[in-house]
Amino acid sequence: MKIKLVASGIALIVGAGYGAAAMAQAKPDVLVKQRQAAMTLQGKYFGPLAGMASGKVPYNAEVIARNAAYLDTLNKMPWDGFNNNTKDEKSRALPAVFTDTAKFKESADRVQSTISQLVKVSKGGDEATVKAAINDVNKACGACHDDFRAKQ
Amino acid sequence: MTVSMKRMLRIGALGLLFATAAAWAQGDAKRGEYLSKAAGCLGCHTEEKKGAVPYVGGRALKTPFGTFYGPNITPHPEAGIGKWTEADFAQALRHGKRPDGANYFPAFPYPSFTGMTDADVRDLWAYLRSLPASAQASRPHDVGFPYNVRFAVTFWKMLYFTPGAFTPDAKLSPEVNRGAYLTTALGHCGECHTPRNAMGGPRKDRFLAGGKGPEGKDIPNLTPTRLKKKWDDKELADFLSAGLTPDGDVPAEAMSEVIRNTTGMLTPADLAAMIAYLRSLPSIESEPAAKK
Repeated sequence: MKIKLVASGIALIVGAGYGAAAMAQAKPDVLVKQRQAAMTLQGKYFGPLAGMASGKVPYNAEVIARNAAYLDTLNKMPWDGFNNNTKDEKSRALPAVFTDTAKFKESADRVQSTISQLVKVSKGGDEATVKAAINDVNKACGACHDDFRAKQ
Repeated sequence: MTVSMKRMLRIGALGLLFATAAAWAQGDAKRGEYLSKAAGCLGCHTEEKKGAVPYVGGRALKTPFGTFYGPNITPHPEAGIGKWTEADFAQALRHGKRPDGANYFPAFPYPSFTGMTDADVRDLWAYLRSLPASAQASRPHDVGFPYNVRFAVTFWKMLYFTPGAFTPDAKLSPEVNRGAYLTTALGHCGECHTPRNAMGGPRKDRFLAGGKGPEGKDIPNLTPTRLKKKWDDKELADFLSAGLTPDGDVPAEAMSEVIRNTTGMLTPADLAAMIAYLRSLPSIESEPAAKK
C-alpha cells in the first residue's frame, strides 16, 4: 500500500515534470499563435459587453455574467505565451513586453483584477455598476495595448 | 401695403437682427459644451485619476521636449482664466499667445485651433465661463533648456504655425468640409496622427499618415491607405462612437480616451462628416516602422 502510494507520488511528480517540460519545449511560433488565439477569443466575448456598456447593444445581464466568466478563464491563458523565446517572432508585441517585464506583469494583473471585479458585480449587480466594471476592463486592456502592442 | 406697415415690418426685422446679434455676442454655452467635446479640451485639462474635477488641469503630456501639464481653465481669477476677456481667449486659440503676449508652447494645439470660427470661439468661451471656478493651481511644465524658452517659440511659429480661420474648399461637399473642420480645427487629430520632425514641426507631406506620436509611440495612419483596407463606414462609425471593433478588440487607451471624450460625443451627422473627410484624404503609404 505504502509502496503504491510512493509510486503514484513519483508518477505524479514525473508527470508534472513532463507537463512543464512540454511547455518549455513549445516552439516560439506556436506560443505566439496560442497567445493570439486566447486574445482573439477574449475579443469575441468582450466585444458585446463593450457594446452594452456604450448602449450600442441591448443590455443583457445573463450574457454579461456568462461572458465575464469566460473572460476570467481566457484571460489566464495568454501570459505564459509571452515567453522570452518569442521575442524575435513576428507579432504586434512590442519589445517592452520582454524588456519591461515588471510593468508588463503589472498591466496584465490589472486586467485580471478588473475582470474578477466584473465577474463579481455581474452576479446581480445593478446596470450602472456592471457597465462601470465593463469600462474598467476596457481601460485596463487598452492601457496595456497602449504600452505593449504595436498599432496596426 | 401702407408705408407705415412697411416701416413697422422693417423695424421688426431690425429688432430680430439685434436680438440674434445679442444672443451671439453672449455666446451659447450649451453649444459651447458640445464644442468643448468636439475639441477634446477635457483630455489635457483634467487629471487622469478617478473623480478628477474637469478642467482644473493637471494631465501630463510627455513629449521628447519635456512634460507639459494642462492648466486650470475654470473661471477662477487667480488659478484659472477668470480675468481673461473673450479677446484674450480668442488670441490664445488663434495665435498661441497668453494675455501678456508671451507664447504658448505648441503642446497646446493652437496650430489646429487657429482654424476655429468666430462663432465657435465665442460659444466655447461662454461655456468655459459657466464652469465652477476652482482654486487649484496649475502645475508648471517640466521642460528643460532650451525648450523652456518661450521666446524661442516665436521662431518655431515662424516655421510651422500658419494662423488663420478654416476656409471651406468650394470643390468639396459641405459634408466633407464640415468633416475637415472637425478633424483639423476642433478635433486636432493631426497633433498626434501627423508625424513631427526633430523640431516638433508637423510634417505636412505626411498629413494624418501616422508614425511616431508626441509621446514616442506609434500612431496609426488615417489616410485611405489603411482605413480602406480596415473597415467600412459603419465599422468606422462604431469604432469612433463606441470604441467597438468588428472583432471585439480593445483599442489602445490613448485613443479610447479620445473616443469617450470626443468622437463618441459627436452627433451622428458630425461623425459621418468626419469619416467622409478621412475617406477623401490623399492616400499616403505608412512608413515602414509603423507598418508592422
